[in-house]
Parts: sequence; C-alpha cells; structure tokens
Amino acid sequence: MTPRKTGRRSAPGPRVSARGRRPESGAAARASGSRPAASAPGTTPVRFVVNGAEAEVAARPSDRLLDILRGPLGLTGTKEGCGAGECGACTVLVDGRPVNACLFPALEADGRAVTTIEGLGGPAGELSDVQRAFVECGAIQCGFCSPGMILAATALLAEHPDPTDGQIRDALVGNLCRCTGYVQIVEAVRAAAARRRTAGGAR
Amino acid sequence: MTAFSYHRPTTLPEAWRLLAAHPGAVLLAGGTDLLVRIRAREIRPPAVVSLRRIPVLAGATVERGGGLRIGAATPVADLLRHPAVVRRYPLLAQALRVMASPQIRNVATLGGNLCNASPCADTAPPLLAYEARVVLERARGRRELPLETFFLGPGETARRPGEILTAVRLPAPPPGARVLFHKQRRVHLDLALASVAVLLQFRGSTCRRARIAAGSVGPTPLRLREVERLIEGRVVTPELAAQAGALAARSVSPIDDLRATAAWRRTIVEVRLRRAILELAGLSPEGGAS
Repeated sequence: MTPRKTGRRSAPGPRVSARGRRPESGAAARASGSRPAASAPGTTPVRFVVNGAEAEVAARPSDRLLDILRGPLGLTGTKEGCGAGECGACTVLVDGRPVNACLFPALEADGRAVTTIEGLGGPAGELSDVQRAFVECGAIQCGFCSPGMILAATALLAEHPDPTDGQIRDALVGNLCRCTGYVQIVEAVRAAAARRRTAGGAR
Repeated sequence: MTAFSYHRPTTLPEAWRLLAAHPGAVLLAGGTDLLVRIRAREIRPPAVVSLRRIPVLAGATVERGGGLRIGAATPVADLLRHPAVVRRYPLLAQALRVMASPQIRNVATLGGNLCNASPCADTAPPLLAYEARVVLERARGRRELPLETFFLGPGETARRPGEILTAVRLPAPPPGARVLFHKQRRVHLDLALASVAVLLQFRGSTCRRARIAAGSVGPTPLRLREVERLIEGRVVTPELAAQAGALAARSVSPIDDLRATAAWRRTIVEVRLRRAILELAGLSPEGGAS
C-alpha cells in the first residue's frame, strides 16, 4: 500500500472548501491554501457534502473515497484495514447507508452526502449516543474497528430503532474486530437503542 | 497505480459512444470487485465507464404477464427493499440476504454479480431456478438470452464488446412454489463453498415442477436438469430425495482449491440437495413424515 501514499504526496494539491459545519479535523482549513482543483492534470473535481459541510477535492480516477477522505480532507478516523471490502474498518455512510470507502470510487462520491466518524458527534465534540454506548460498554479495545463499527451500528439504528440481537449481528457482519470484542459491541448497540427509546427517540 | 480514464455517462447512448471511443474499456456497476482487481493489477483497463448514473439501469418493475424486470445496475440492498422481489421471488431474496456484507450489498449490483461470472456468484443459482433471461444491448441492437447460456466459464460470459447488460428479466414465478437456498460457508463473509437453489411445485405429494441449480461446483453456476427430470412427476419420498442428491453429486464438476476439495463439494451438494427436497416436501430430514 506504500505506492498509494507516496503517490498521494506527489499528487496535485486538492482544493477543499467548507461551508456550513466544518469537518471537525480542521482538514479543510489546512488544505484550503492549495492549488485549485481545475488546474490539476488528470484529476476531476469531486463536489460532495462531508459531515454536513460542502467539500471539493481534486480526485484521480484511481482514487477511492477512502483516499480522498484520509488524504486531502484529513479525516483519518476512517481506517484502512484490508483494502478489499472484507474488514469494514473503512465503513462510512453514503447518503445514510454504510459502504466500504475502500471499494467506492472517489469520483462516484460527487453529489453525495458522506458521513464519517468525525461527523457523528455534536458541534462541541460531544460523542453521539452510539459512541457513548461503545465507551461505556467496553466495546472499544484497540479501537481500529470502532469507527466502522459505530457507523454501521448508527445506520442500523436509523432504520431499526429496536433491533433484535440477530439484526444487530447481521448489521455488523461486515465489520471485523480483531480484538474479538463482539459481545460488548452487540451490548453497546443494544444499550444505545434502549437509551434512545427511553429518551423518546432523541439522538 | 495504473492510469485510466473514468467516465460517468448518464444515458445508454452516451455509454455506447464511450465504449466505442475507448477500446478495452471496462464497465463499472457497483465496482466492489472491479476496483480491487484494478488495484491488484489483475486487469489494466485504459478506461472505466461507470453505469451508476444511468437511471434506466436502476430499479425493478413488474412486467405485463407478471414477470419482473430488474435494471442491471440495481444495488442488491435495493432489491431486498423491493416488495416484488421479497414476496414473489423468495429464492432470490434468500440468496441476496446472505450475500457478502451490508456495506457491499449497498453498492454491489445484480448485473455486476452476473457479469463477473464467478462460479460462486450468489445470485446465479436462484436466477437459474427462476429461468431468468438477460438483456444485452448495444448501440444498434438488442438481444435476450437465457441466463443459462450467458455463462461460458469462470469470468467469461456471452457479452460481446460494445454490449451492456441492461436488465435481468424473470418470468412470473410458478404459483405456490416452495423454495430453499442453501449457501455452504464457514464464516459469514465467505464466498459460497457450494450452494444449491431448489424450487419445487407440488400437487399433493407429487412434484409437478422442479428447478434446481448449484454454485461453486463447476466452471459456471449450473442448472441441474437431469435432477429436475428425475423428480418431476413423481411422489417425493426419502428414497427419491436420496437418488436426486446422488445424481446431483455425479452431475457437478467441482475443483479442488484452497477453500475446499472437489470431493467435499460433491458431498455438500448431495447432502444439501437431499435435505432441501425433503424439507420442501414436508418430510423430516431423517426420512420420516413430519
């Protein structure tokens, strides 16, 4: 995977603009001084919404959504594990649905709304209810799978507010935890769902 | 990383023009397999033509006569939300539910799964059992062929350069059919080590119609016509189910690979088909009436 990284360093600079709520990493600010997308040879501007903020990135045809999130946008909460859709560490939401960012062509993100782990919390950095439940239930060990797990769980609860254990396991089947903390992870999702129900559906 | 150009047409004529202008271009529907293969340099296409922004390729519609037309670039997850698929084609729905992961089902498409022509494609055995047809269209001309003749070998299909698989058409499902899909795997994300799709229609205890297909046990997904002929018109008994399993095991041509041996795959087909027939006939797997 090293060729990708060196390639990224020598790649034309991206232009990132952020309006509305900014990506919380501050990546937009870091990247905003670089050359405009249109002038970069071999790249195409991708305009999309990332965590509620509009962004524009110059992407090459070979870039994956994962590459533009972690690279020019600096959203390194999205992890690269296997790079082949097996482990789910790179799970992000595209228009609300979980996808593997390592299998999603960057150019196909154009016009879509992407949510990464950085976009789940509140404006002052408060954790989302699912994130809080993961912390409280001991569902995080090394943490590498956690962003993907939490996004997959967040998508599940949006569709099924009261999931069975079977539904929880089915929803997380595309996410591997090499620390094997699955029991606590399922408990965390169950706890987040229960808390959401008692809170009257508020997030 | 190999350099290639990436195109996002919004109409079929535009896609055909791009295919003509870029010899060797590959089509991308979901891209969940293609992107990995390009990055691993298994293929080095000069151009990628994405089918993801062509509206006519997405969605499923019930046709006159009760069949279903599925746009080739419809994501698997969308099919599982489609009432006609879930209610009327339960054998297909069973296979779609155990395919890959939610993340992949949200992106991977029915047409992509078929065009990859993997012997273990999860959608193929149920579609063979429903006698699905594929629609291939080029700039001037359209042809339709049975899915069974679309698969030529591992990774090989009857699709010609310039043609786009635009739709999969399923005839109206046989009324009252009982169905069962079994995917043999070790952990959830495994590709099928072997799979069987069984559709049986009964009148009393006599099997009127049998449609049986298997995956991962030959160079292509296989329809097991000899087994169908053995069962049709006969009263299903434990003996007949055992004969059908044994015949299926002889009819398939699996290979040894790092995931399973050929002999084991034959055994799985034999046992799983026998049990499926018994279950659909309302007999217990041990052989007594349930």
